[in-house]
Amino acid sequence: MLEVKDLHVSVDGKKILKGLNLTINAGEVHAIMGPNGAGKSTLSNVIAGRDGYEITSGSITYKGDDLLEMSPEERAWAGVFLAFQYPVEIPGVNNTYLLKAGVNAKRKHQGLEELDAFDFMQTVKEKAKLVELDPSFLSRSVNEGFSGGEKKRNEIFQMAVLDPALALLDETDSGLDIDALRIVAGGVNKLRGKDKAIVMITHYQRLLDYIEPDFVHVLADGVIQKTGDKSLAVELEKHGYDWVKENK
Amino acid sequence: MSVLTQTRQDALNLFEKIGLPTGRDEDWKYTDASRLKDLLQPTPTDANIHIKDMGVTGLDAYRMVFINGLFAEAESNLPEGVSILSLAELEKNSTGEDAEGIAKLFTVDTKAPLMNGFNAWNAAKASDGAVIILADNAILTKPLYILHISNQSNVVRHSFMIGKHAEAQIIEHFISTDDSKALSNTCSFVALKAEARVEHTRIQQEGDKQSHVARVQVKQCKKSSYQFHGVELGASLSRTDLVVNLHGEGASCDLNGLFVLSGRQHADHHTRIDHKAPHCTSRELYRTVLDGRSHGVFNGKVIVHEGAIKTDSNMSNGNILLSKNAEIDTKPELEIYNDDVKCAHGATIGQLDDKQLFYLRSRGISAEAAQELLTFAFADEVLVAMSNQTVRSYVEKAAFAKLPHSDDLEEMLGS
Repeated sequence: MLEVKDLHVSVDGKKILKGLNLTINAGEVHAIMGPNGAGKSTLSNVIAGRDGYEITSGSITYKGDDLLEMSPEERAWAGVFLAFQYPVEIPGVNNTYLLKAGVNAKRKHQGLEELDAFDFMQTVKEKAKLVELDPSFLSRSVNEGFSGGEKKRNEIFQMAVLDPALALLDETDSGLDIDALRIVAGGVNKLRGKDKAIVMITHYQRLLDYIEPDFVHVLADGVIQKTGDKSLAVELEKHGYDWVKENK
Repeated sequence: MSVLTQTRQDALNLFEKIGLPTGRDEDWKYTDASRLKDLLQPTPTDANIHIKDMGVTGLDAYRMVFINGLFAEAESNLPEGVSILSLAELEKNSTGEDAEGIAKLFTVDTKAPLMNGFNAWNAAKASDGAVIILADNAILTKPLYILHISNQSNVVRHSFMIGKHAEAQIIEHFISTDDSKALSNTCSFVALKAEARVEHTRIQQEGDKQSHVARVQVKQCKKSSYQFHGVELGASLSRTDLVVNLHGEGASCDLNGLFVLSGRQHADHHTRIDHKAPHCTSRELYRTVLDGRSHGVFNGKVIVHEGAIKTDSNMSNGNILLSKNAEIDTKPELEIYNDDVKCAHGATIGQLDDKQLFYLRSRGISAEAAQELLTFAFADEVLVAMSNQTVRSYVEKAAFAKLPHSDDLEEMLGS
């Protein structure tokens, strides 16, 4: 589904990613772990299409297409979703309107009819339950006045409604207490599927207790240092990131 | 000469003495009043205006219609048991005991802030207006919607006197029937007794060639609360002076302003809040969205007088320029004459937030629609405080129609 090849990315002239390779197939769940400043968020932002990153070489192919040639909205239409580390507040833009516009833009792009208002609201209510999001949040402005945990929950709720093929969860676990983490993880697990892939970016092994990954990658110094299964995360937790660099 | 005739003659004399403001007046630096000189003289005729379906439709409200500055009784619908009168009618019957009271409605307070020649002219030449006298504890159960329709120069003068604990919602709406060149000169005086509450909306939506000069002067007694929404969408040139006197302890005002301008439109609001008593609160939120070669002017002055301890004042002015030829001149001013206060003020002139744009696009909103949506949301935030949803959605639609918008966005907000 996603093929990242020899990706080099700089921000303000500083090299962040230095030849990163990553292959993600449909049905897989990947965890990318690593210390602060390793380039984890850079990777997810580059995949989602955020400005401000200079791709100096390498390629990203998504479902056979050159992802780097696509605008952020085109990526969304094609099924790429980023759950933001710091979801932005957008006063005056209604949460439900945003989703409806997003869903319908995607459907239009796929040559499908727009959802009618009733069907859409049914979906929205159902998905809100999935992450136990209070229905009052639906009619509020996007993330405005939400607590940190509520923002993260709203991200996963949006993911559920937009139904992406490739979901990137950028530190979705940070700022969540244990109960919220369980709910959010439960929501994510329900969204797993054989034609879908999930990439979790996290510092902590904790999240992986709830969402079990097929692969764990350690990202440090701008490249994937090591890839393994779930047990790698446990080792990491025990020994720290320096251990990975020493035991490549 | 009767006291009323004398008062109006005094106003005319004053006008002749001070004339119209010029660019040398600091408060008129950006707005050229000289071009309005030939449009001053009102022509109060009904000019065959058919008013069916004009203005805000579907509004559950009492209604007063003024056509070219004259009260159109047949088109109006007033509550029983509340004194809502026509100024012209009052004037006709101004004999005996009431004479002085009626004359007072035409008095020009030369010491009031931002007083100018247009205001003197208004007192001298007003052809009509609404006079509302709400008794103590009276509550106007529905909003009073005052619709001004014009295609000629007109001068109207309203006075709203709100008794103790009384409550009223007043909506003034200004529209034109054609694009005649004309000037509307309006004054609204609002007096709130102790603990009175008023929500006052002004929607200026006059024709492209029309000009509009307004004064809103508010005096607030103890613990009264005044909320203002000023929306500038129409006219080629408009100027509003909004003057609020927080006279009684614990009074509060909340002033909201929105300009959505395009083409060569020019809109100017000068606001002035005087904190004269302790424990008063003032809030001010003004936003402009300027396209084309339009020009916005905002000057917000707050003066915290000696003795007005525990003043709490906050002013914010935000501006978005959609075109490189649009211009905003903004000046928040704060003068404080005692120590025990909490005051903040600021202005921003800016582009849209990149993070918000990216967030919307990452959810599948096109770049164009995302920009338009954020612009609309920026404007719409000023309208959140409007309590009447029919009026709010009317203004939203009118503002939206003036903003650049793609089919995508129309679909998005339309459903």
